[in-house]
Amino acid sequence: MAKNGSNSEDYTTPLKRLLLAVVILCLLGVFFLWRIDSPRVERFRAAVIDTVLPSFDWAMAPVTATVNLGRDFRSYQRIYEQNQELRRELRQMTAWKEAALQLEQENAKLRDLNNVRLDTRLTYITGVVLADSGSPFRQSVLINVGSRDGIVDGWATMDGTGLVGRVSGVGANTSRVIMLTDATSRIPATIQPSGQRALIVGDNSASPPIDFLEDPDQVRPGDRIVTSGDGDVFPPGLLIGQVAQDPGGRLRTRLAADYERLEFLRVLRDHGARRVSNPAALILPETPPVDAEEEASAEAEVSQ
Amino acid sequence: MDQNRLQVWGMRAAFVLIALVIVFFHLLPLDPSPGRWAGPDLLVAVVFAWAVRRPDYVPILLIAGVMLMADMMLQRPPGLWSVLVVCAAEWMKSRERRQRETTFVLEWMTFAGCLIAITVVYRAVLMVLIVVPGTFTLAFVQVMMTIALYPVVVGVSHLVLGVRRAAPGDVDRLGRTV
Repeated sequence: MAKNGSNSEDYTTPLKRLLLAVVILCLLGVFFLWRIDSPRVERFRAAVIDTVLPSFDWAMAPVTATVNLGRDFRSYQRIYEQNQELRRELRQMTAWKEAALQLEQENAKLRDLNNVRLDTRLTYITGVVLADSGSPFRQSVLINVGSRDGIVDGWATMDGTGLVGRVSGVGANTSRVIMLTDATSRIPATIQPSGQRALIVGDNSASPPIDFLEDPDQVRPGDRIVTSGDGDVFPPGLLIGQVAQDPGGRLRTRLAADYERLEFLRVLRDHGARRVSNPAALILPETPPVDAEEEASAEAEVSQ
Repeated sequence: MDQNRLQVWGMRAAFVLIALVIVFFHLLPLDPSPGRWAGPDLLVAVVFAWAVRRPDYVPILLIAGVMLMADMMLQRPPGLWSVLVVCAAEWMKSRERRQRETTFVLEWMTFAGCLIAITVVYRAVLMVLIVVPGTFTLAFVQVMMTIALYPVVVGVSHLVLGVRRAAPGDVDRLGRTV
């Protein structure tokens, strides 16, 4: 039997080597294809996730709910303090609500006088967060609305208060939202009240740094950061957060959206958003500009 | 002999199931805010622990398929991490055939060495191709957590699922010694 075994081993070893080589080549091929034509492979990935994940959902929702319930349970321990805190806040809020109502009425009257038609561009679709990115290196979530609901790549998403991220990758039933904290996220922003332009650069931390600031002296911790609308990335004026300073003196963003509890996300319909269809579309114009000299020589050739 | 074959296919199915469960728990939207710690990459630990013990439970195609699925679902560049894991797993399989009488500490060291090596290659390739590979600290924490949890993975595989090294008398369906 030992002899028999060694014989069949002689047959299988080269075959195994061949199989290994083929597998390695295939996987490397997939990787390089992704590197060369990223949008296409990412679309394929979105399609795969789109078909696989909704079937996981029946199991995912209860498990998530159970874990969150356990976490909530821990917060019951200081329920009395929280109650007191909320009562205090509620008193303040009632005062604000009164002021807001008065302002709303005044606003309505003024609008009526001016006959203003409000901009209806920014309507939204609300989606439920289905899944995480699954990797500590990527910050994104999957929501349960997709191209079926009219979602388009590049639209902004917010939770109730602040900007969360940008839609990138749309399947039929799901779409992926790359959050502001992701290392690939760059969002042009304006800092109020000084009006300074800056970029909010995601770096995989909870408070992304503020970069490319014209004059840091004009910016103070606590200033509001809103989107600037530069480069047609997002509609202008969406709240991102507040300026904060880390111990090293670097300016960072304290995000307004509650990233720890993302349950529902609003996707803002924005028909002016720029779409990225091919890899170079962000950097290069759609049609390459023809060199003036080349054009002239081409014309000369034609006339000859 | 048929019984044997059935068991091998059962364990292959169990491997796929475990991989799906791990990916499922990775994808749960529990805390979408960026964390300071990265959890262990349990899938790699399972692949290596099984490849060393019972190579026939995790054939090349199965490892490649499962890892590619994980790459797709977990937003990694598709293919690169899979190819590294396949290579490392095959190397560990071939090494295991040569020296069966290894101690667990030696196996653990080999696993740590392999994991560190493929992580370094992975990050180097991504950097050369100008893809952001993620912060170094996170990757370091992840590798360390995975190495630390390797004995647990081995223990659970051994005790619960019965994945242990083939005894000297065991033969596979072709009559070869395993």
